[in-house]
Order: sequence, then C-alpha cells, then structure tokens
Amino acid sequence: MSGSLLLQSLILGILLGGLYALLAAGLTLYFGVMRVVMIAHSAFLILAAYLAWYFNRETGIDPLLSLLVTVPLFFVAGVAMQRLLLSRLRPATLTMMSVLLTFAIALTIEGLLGYVFTGTQRRIQLDYSGSSFEVAGANIAVVKLIAFGLAALSLLGLYLLMKKTRFGQALRATIQHPEAARLLGISTDRIAGYGFGIGLATAAVGGTALALDSTIYPSLHWHWIGPLMAIIVIGGLGSIPGAAIAAMLLGVTQSLLQVPMGTTWAQTVFYIALFATLMVRPQGFFGGRLAQRF
Amino acid sequence: MRSASKAPDGTTGTSGTTFDRVLLGGKVLLLLAGLALVLAFPGLAPDAFILSVGVTIASYAALAVGWNFVGGFTGYISLGHAAYSGLGGYATALLIIDGGLNPWLALGVGALGVAVVAVPIGVASLRVRGASFVIVSIAMVLILLLVSQSWADVTGGSSGLRVPRPFSDDVLRPEQHERFFYLHVALVAVALLVWWAIDRSRFGIGLKAIREDEDKAQSLGVPTFKYKLVVFVISAFFTALAGGMYALWFGYLDPIFQFSILIGSYMVLMSLLGGIRSLFGPVVGAVIVGYSLEYFKNQYGDSQFHLVALGLMLGLVVLFMPDGVLPAIGQLVNRFRPTATSIREESAADLLARTTKTEPRQAEEVSR
Repeated sequence: MSGSLLLQSLILGILLGGLYALLAAGLTLYFGVMRVVMIAHSAFLILAAYLAWYFNRETGIDPLLSLLVTVPLFFVAGVAMQRLLLSRLRPATLTMMSVLLTFAIALTIEGLLGYVFTGTQRRIQLDYSGSSFEVAGANIAVVKLIAFGLAALSLLGLYLLMKKTRFGQALRATIQHPEAARLLGISTDRIAGYGFGIGLATAAVGGTALALDSTIYPSLHWHWIGPLMAIIVIGGLGSIPGAAIAAMLLGVTQSLLQVPMGTTWAQTVFYIALFATLMVRPQGFFGGRLAQRF
Repeated sequence: MRSASKAPDGTTGTSGTTFDRVLLGGKVLLLLAGLALVLAFPGLAPDAFILSVGVTIASYAALAVGWNFVGGFTGYISLGHAAYSGLGGYATALLIIDGGLNPWLALGVGALGVAVVAVPIGVASLRVRGASFVIVSIAMVLILLLVSQSWADVTGGSSGLRVPRPFSDDVLRPEQHERFFYLHVALVAVALLVWWAIDRSRFGIGLKAIREDEDKAQSLGVPTFKYKLVVFVISAFFTALAGGMYALWFGYLDPIFQFSILIGSYMVLMSLLGGIRSLFGPVVGAVIVGYSLEYFKNQYGDSQFHLVALGLMLGLVVLFMPDGVLPAIGQLVNRFRPTATSIREESAADLLARTTKTEPRQAEEVSR
C-alpha cells in the first residue's frame, strides 16, 4: 500500500467515522433516557435520505436545505413515538419489547419507502457531486467533507446542549438516575420524550449527509444498523463518548481494510470487534454501571 | 410477570372440579380435532398451490417451535435464528452435493454440525442479556449473509445453490408436497414432544426461573449459564433441522432469503402471537402469521407492501398482546370458572392453624 493511498484511506475513514459517531450518539441517547434499543434508527436515516432526495428532485434546491424541514419533523416524530408508543410498554420487559416494536417500525418504514418510491436505486445529482481536491496526494471528495462537517457540527451542538444548558443538565440527570431526577423536580417523562426527539433529529442530519454522496434504496438500512449496533455495544451501552470513540476507530479500521480485503469483507470488522468485546469485556469498553445489565 | 405466581400450565391447584374435567376434555378434543385436520389437510387441499402453502406454514411452525426453546424458556429474544435455519439448509445441501451423503443422513449430520457451531456462538452471546443479546443475534445473521454472498466457491454466492431432490424424479410435484408436508408435521411433533418434556423437568423449571429473574435464579443455585447454553444448542439443532428440511423441499438456496432478518422476525412474531409460554403457542402463531404472509404476498405481489403488513402486525402484537393469543383465551376461559371468586374457601382460622403448624417444622429443617 503506497503512502498516498494509505493517507487517502485514513482520511476517508475519519470522514466516515464522523457520520458513524453522530448516528451512534443518537442511538446512545435513546438507550440512556429509556433503556431502549432503537432498531428503527437507521430506517429513519434512510427515510431522511429519501426526503432529501425527493426535496431536491421536486424543487431543484440544494438538499442541505431540506434539513430545515426534516430536523423539526423528526424531532416531533421522536417525541410522539416515545410518548405514544414506547411509554405504553410494560417496564419489566421494556428493553426486549422495545427492540421488537422499533424493529416493527423499521419494517413498516422500509415497506412504505419501497411502496411509494419503488425499489429503484436513487442518487442525488449536484453540480459539485464530482468535484474533489487533493491533500498531499490524497483525493478528497467535497461531498464527503460536507457530510463530515454536518456530522461534526451536530455532534458539537449536541455536546454543548448536554453540557452547557439547563435542559442538558436535566437530560443527563434523567440518564444517570431517573428516580433521583424526579425527586429533584425534573419531569423525566417529558425529558425522555425530548431526548428521543433529539436522537431522531440526529438521524435526519445523518440521512441528509448520507444522501449527498451515496446511492440509496429502501433496504439499505440493514447495512447501517449492524455496524451501528456493534459500535454502541463496543463503546458501552449508554456512553456517548464511548460510542464516538468506537465509531471513529472502527470507521478508520474499516476504511483501511477496504484496500486489501474489499468492501464486503472489510464490513466484518464490526462483527469481529463485537464478538471480541463480548468475550473480553461484555459491558463494552467505556460503559459504566448502566451497561452492566443490558 | 403476572402469570409468574401461577403454575406453568395455568391451573391454580383447584384440580378435580367438574369445570376442570370439562376443560381438560375440551382441550383433548380440540387437540384431536386439530391433529385430524392437519393429517387430513393434503387430502382436502384443492390444488398443488394450496398444498404448497400448507408445507410453507408447516415449515414456519417447525422454525417457530425451534425458536421457542430459547425464547419461551429463557425469555431471551433472538432476532437472528435465521442464522441456524440458513446454516442447516446450507449444511444439508453441501453434505449432499460435496459429501455425497444420503439426503436424510445429510439433514441429521448437518443439524448436528450446526449444534456444534452454536456452542461457541452461545458462549459469546449468552454472556450478555436483553438488548445486547438481540444485537448480537442480529449481527450473527448479517455476518453469515456477508460470508455466504462473498464465499461463492462453496455457497454459490448470490446466484444461489440448487439442492438435489431426495425423492426420485418420477414422484410428481403434488406428491412431493404431500410427503414433505407430513415430514414437516412429524418434525414439529418431535420438537413439541421435546419442549413438553423439558417443560416438565427440573431443567425446565431452572430455565423458567432464569426467564423470571436471572439474578435470583443464580443466587438460588441454578447453573444459569450452563442451562442457557444447553437450551440454546437444542434450539439451534431443531431450527437447523427445520431449515434443512425446507432446503430439501424447496430445492434452492439463496443467501438473501436464507440469512434474512425477516425469517428471524417471522419466528419471533409467530411465537409471540401464539404465546411463548404455551406448548402450542408457536404452532398457532405460525398458522395465523404464515397464512397472512402468504395472503399478503399473493395480494400485493412484488411490491414491498407485505413488509408494512408484517411490521404493523408485529407492532400491534407487541403493544396490545405481548402474552399471546393462547394465554388470552386461557384467561377468557378462566372467567367462567365457578370457583373463581374473591372469597376464600377456607376461613382465616383454618389458614392460621395451617401456617402455624408448618412454620416450626420449616424452621427445624433450616436449623438442621
């Protein structure tokens, strides 16, 4: 492997890792506020990508502007989903049943996408789609950089929201100890709903970023959910920094392995890492008390 | 769990009343009628297509019963059991094609092989509970899909694998369907028998203790990990048998359909809908879900609408009927139980006399 090829893979890996990190952060948020594993996260990701593509096709405006619609829409959908569906499940079997319920939502979204837009592969054509620039011999596509920028900005926003605002404080309190948070006067149900909405909003951002540089089709979400699930288990369920670090590491590893092994086999790195983690440290590498029981 | 306080079969110890005898008679009659209907089905089916739908449903039932060894006893919901049915199918096919084995021998050896493979998978995945277990089970299917698509020299890759038919060519298609229908039914019967035997054993009680509260079960001395692993391997074995049987019948394997999360979710939906705690739950669920799936596929053809139907069905079951149809019917029947009143049959004095009599003896046993 030549030096410039290595550098190129490394940069592509970091760019991909950023997107993984944003999406895994959303998944971690759901798990934190409600102990829910949200299989439908990547289905919403593909839904957002389709909405961006549809927006671009119908209006001809840059798909990035579709974020103005999809982010609030997904936030509301997330709050509604938590309040109307997930909070109805019995607490004793919540984790298991939420997996099945969100799985059912994922199937429904996939089916509806296939029904409305057909199974044809779609791709957004932009005037800057093909443009790229060179850094020390490595070729970087502009769209990939924009996607990474979106992901990084959203992650930064999420970090500031969690650390600097009163709402973020309440959200973290709810994640750490719901009963104690309730005693302090935090309305944990409402906070959990908003947490869910924010998680789903990350899927809207991720989906738009995804639509910029890849071909989309309804069943694509299965290719995303496996790696994302592996990332949050390796990082430790419930830990956002853990998820972000695991996402970066695995994204880079996948990208580096793609050159000698090809794309299909490189994907197995997620699953190998998942099984290795389970054998060595079942609660994940950065997971604390939360991850122990799940 | 609401039903945890009751005995596993739902009876509350008031056996011997007329109501219970009538209920038992009704159950036996219902069972015999169901069995007769199943056995007569190939003769009643008007054409080969309906017969093939019957075989598909029987195959679903075999898969669901295989799944229910893990799901029903331990409460570990695996969304990835398609891994074992797919492996069973491929093992059977490859043993016939490359190993030159007799098809039926290949089916058995293949399933045993899958059971052996399931040991390390079980050791890894049973270390975690709940959500992580589900994630790992999904990951298993995705890995196998990647491998079976990429490793084209062995599995035929995306172009699929043709499985030789076990019966000679002069056996016509309807005749083939009929034979495979009975073979699938026999497989379901054997699996149910094993489930029933485990349900009544000490092993089964330990497994159900894990389902209700794993930590308490462990502290009471149930070897939880060993029990979980054994039942996991049994489940993989029966699921692999069902997958191999399907491969022999269908005669063609494609990675996308064999290692599909959809197949795994069918098993979960069928078992949940029927009731994972009941012996016949998965079978009832397989009949309902299998029939609806075939109906939707027939109605909406190639469009993706059958996914929506499946998704909505699963969602409704999870939200409104997580215990399944059979327990719901059981509760309905129990309402008509004449003794089911809130007034106790024994007086408080009787109760007091009984408890004071037994308590010292228990204390004695503990001190000894």
